[in-house]
Amino acid sequence: MRIRSILIALLAVPAFAFAEGPTDPQIAAIVVTANQVDVDAGKLAKSKSHDKEVKAFAQQMITDHTAVNKQAGDLVKKLGVKPESNATSESLKKGGDENIAALKKLKGKAFDKAYVDHEVAYHEQVLDAIDKTLIPSAQNAELKGLIEKVRPAFVAHLDHAKHLQMKLGA
Amino acid sequence: MRSALAVALAVAVTGAALAASTHEIKIEGMQFPHATVSVNRGDTVTWRNNDVVPHTVTAPGRFDSGAIAPGKTFSRKMDRPGTYDYVCTYHPGMKGRIQVK
Repeated sequence: MRIRSILIALLAVPAFAFAEGPTDPQIAAIVVTANQVDVDAGKLAKSKSHDKEVKAFAQQMITDHTAVNKQAGDLVKKLGVKPESNATSESLKKGGDENIAALKKLKGKAFDKAYVDHEVAYHEQVLDAIDKTLIPSAQNAELKGLIEKVRPAFVAHLDHAKHLQMKLGA
Repeated sequence: MRSALAVALAVAVTGAALAASTHEIKIEGMQFPHATVSVNRGDTVTWRNNDVVPHTVTAPGRFDSGAIAPGKTFSRKMDRPGTYDYVCTYHPGMKGRIQVK
């Protein structure tokens, strides 16, 4: 529980509140970073977990978030937008690094639980950002469209993570 | 383009222009269509992945598309009558059904 609170606190720190809303280059950086940190966590979980379902979930995160980032990368290139790091993308990166560092110290069931708890909190946080910040702020229609198409995948991931959390006895 | 080709092939194989048609099923919003899709024997079904993540169309023991990348399609000619329940093996919550008459 303590670890979970810390992880949630770390995730909650990102300044998702922009005075004017992020620009498209900033949104691009947020999208790419958000996906990348979850790919990284998935890779660690796939190699460290011994739970079949946790490993399968981790693989799904790797596959899906890699696919989203490929499309985000292709779109950004096509639009000539240069991702611009910002407070939100940097705290996402920092939160991701701290999550990995915390997870590396854990083993077995404690690892599985911490990983899955973080996945639930992470997907809730990102969905919140998608709805309140990213979709309303995106100027380019294709960028907005991509984020709208990403949303159901995050919802499915959140449902899956919550299901695992229940099974692991959160 | 691909479905046109599938139709052309089906027509060529059966030699009957009216006998076979192609049905497109959209995969969107992390879902297959909720309703059962009914097709005739010999028809071709094409699934188009409009999502941003890969999916599979897998009816255990019957057919398995393997990964269908975003924006790509998978086509299958339905030769045997029956009801086929299929899932996405990546996202097992995704379920669909085809009825071949």
